[in-house]
Amino acid sequence: MYDSLVDVPIDSVEPTPSLATDWKLGDDGLSLTLNLRDDVKFHSGRDFTSEDVAFSIKTWADPKWTVQFQRTAAAITDFDTTDPHTVVLKFDHKLSNVFDLLDVLPIIDSETFDGLGEGKAYVGTGPFTFESWTPQSELTFAKNADYWGNEPKLDGIEVHIVPDAQSLTSQLRTGQLDLAIGVSNRDVDTLVKTGDFTDTAYEGSERQYYVGTNVTNPALKDVRVRQAIAYALDRERIVADVFQGNGYPIVAPWPKYSPAYDEDINQKYSRDVDKGKALVEEVGNIPTLSLEYSTGSPTYEAIAQIVQANLADIGIKVDLVPNEHPTHIDRLINGKYTALWILDHAYAQWTPSTLAVTAYPFNADKNSSNFVDAKYKKDANAAWEVADGTSPEAVEAYRKVTEDLVENLFLIESNVTWIRIPVSTGVHDLAWTKRSELVLTDTWLDD
Amino acid sequence: MSTGIDASSSAAGRPTGGLAADPPRRWPAFLRAPGGAAGATMILIVVLLGVFAPLLAPYGPAEQIPNANLLPPSSAHWLGTDEVNRDIFSRLLFGIRVDLMVVFIAVPFGALIGTVIGLVSTMYAFADVIAQRVFDVILAFPVLILAIGVTAAAGPGVTTIIAVIVLAEIPVFGRLARTSLLTVRAMPYVESSQVIGAGNTWLLRKHLLPNSLEPLVVQFGVSMSIAVFIEGAMSFLGLGVRPPQPSLGSLTRDGIRNVWESPAFVVGPLIIVTLLVLGFLLVSQAISATRRV
Repeated sequence: MYDSLVDVPIDSVEPTPSLATDWKLGDDGLSLTLNLRDDVKFHSGRDFTSEDVAFSIKTWADPKWTVQFQRTAAAITDFDTTDPHTVVLKFDHKLSNVFDLLDVLPIIDSETFDGLGEGKAYVGTGPFTFESWTPQSELTFAKNADYWGNEPKLDGIEVHIVPDAQSLTSQLRTGQLDLAIGVSNRDVDTLVKTGDFTDTAYEGSERQYYVGTNVTNPALKDVRVRQAIAYALDRERIVADVFQGNGYPIVAPWPKYSPAYDEDINQKYSRDVDKGKALVEEVGNIPTLSLEYSTGSPTYEAIAQIVQANLADIGIKVDLVPNEHPTHIDRLINGKYTALWILDHAYAQWTPSTLAVTAYPFNADKNSSNFVDAKYKKDANAAWEVADGTSPEAVEAYRKVTEDLVENLFLIESNVTWIRIPVSTGVHDLAWTKRSELVLTDTWLDD
Repeated sequence: MSTGIDASSSAAGRPTGGLAADPPRRWPAFLRAPGGAAGATMILIVVLLGVFAPLLAPYGPAEQIPNANLLPPSSAHWLGTDEVNRDIFSRLLFGIRVDLMVVFIAVPFGALIGTVIGLVSTMYAFADVIAQRVFDVILAFPVLILAIGVTAAAGPGVTTIIAVIVLAEIPVFGRLARTSLLTVRAMPYVESSQVIGAGNTWLLRKHLLPNSLEPLVVQFGVSMSIAVFIEGAMSFLGLGVRPPQPSLGSLTRDGIRNVWESPAFVVGPLIIVTLLVLGFLLVSQAISATRRV
């Protein structure tokens, strides 16, 4: 429904054109000139111009909305929109991750923005237009015949909200749905075995599961306790048993194609119960810790129970505390967890500096672990304030951020994985973005 | 030569040859009814499985067995293993203990409080008005809505399940006790006692309570079966016991999650829930029937 200025492909961090056809970074790294397509119209029929880019970025930067990448948007301080098809963005400082923002940020229509805030009007420039929304039930979209790109092959899309996982699987089996998001890995395997479905994995749009720690909890203040937890974590088993082998263990958050990925660091805290026990004995007298997890997915509960058993192996007793998903996210955003928690994060699939300045668990300014550290903040900002996010200078800055993460272990990474969805064999040319969103522009169905 | 049993049997006019198949006369009447005996047997089997769980279970309820992820039923794991490598049969046996604990604590507690409130209501008009309005409010909520509310306030766990069941049972027993007591109080023999000067306490002890017990006992059996259902529903919805503690409801939920892998994962808890619910219902029906005879 919405387009962004650039698209960052799923297998790299280099941007490709979308609403912006080409761009040039200023010599001082403090400005970016983007040339825009001149054949784009909003669903309302209005022409898309550089003013819409300025409006969209300013809206994203407004602190009244809770969005990630807000700091990056706020670092864009001036807009030259003299030419309706060229926009010049001026930065407060160099921004190594500006293209990540431009990939994530949807271009919205200023004239209908109030309706968007109220959940009534959804006007973008994308290949499908909004038709209807029945809360908790259904969304419908129609083909945008005036789309500036390839004309969509589908006449429309119906999205059904099916809260029960078993019903979702049954509806797939009976042909009521062509594809589904939210099916467990195990059910995807079962459906693929029937021969009627293919397994589509969002590779390039990785998610990382982790154990978070509130470092202001007296028991977790000591980094040795966090190190002991890192040694106890059975990452291989979590990948094998919970994700059926779809993923790989990590200690630092980066996926394998990231410029910050370091295989040696990923070996640093391989499971070693003896080392974990020794650290626990050294610290002595660790009270029972709560481990919170979201009831939003059985995956979290399974990981929580494995982590509970892992920590029991080194002498740390854990009480499991299930949270409703909205409560869990509220605690994440506001750093309200008591001790430990289980969740997954994204953002490591983009320019590495994005993670440390954008994602709630990692944000060096204010994070879910309440971890405040001058060196981490300095290193995160240094990585952010590099002009070219893939330069050797940037890679060196990412190395320092990685060292901070692994030395302080306020988040203990478990594994990378990716969303898998079962897709009917009658569906062709399905694509997805780094943001884990389906792209159905070129998708077509068998007769 | 006749034995004492032969004599009593003859007195009842039954042929002596039928004695071997009949339960002894000293057994409670409801156990001599076929339904009551079947129900009691079902409950007894489940209770024994729960009581002897530590002896019967091959693994601990939370024991994660290496390389045993979602194994199908086999001689090593009679009901298979779950998604975190635990033996489902062992968890089922320990899960029975949780359910039994919940129903045997919560229902008597709810019944006692409800009956006392019902009793007080019949004695003091003011208390009656307050109690009935409070009961109206509680009964206005379906049990699961009540459960969601209590869980939101207190968090999930065994204590919350017990609290929900107690809260749900108080008005049931309160209303029933009140109605029964008022019915008995209107009986001529009670009025006669009052006329000749019997006090309230004496009346309660000698006439009102003993003669009001019958419907309460029947309701007790029904409530036990409902309590099993409430635990199952709450744990199924994630409002009940906290992992890794097993219960019949949480085991059903876990089994259904993986039902496409193997239907066997869900069979065990469903059989036990059926035995308990049916057992309690049959016993309460038998009590009701034998009292009416």
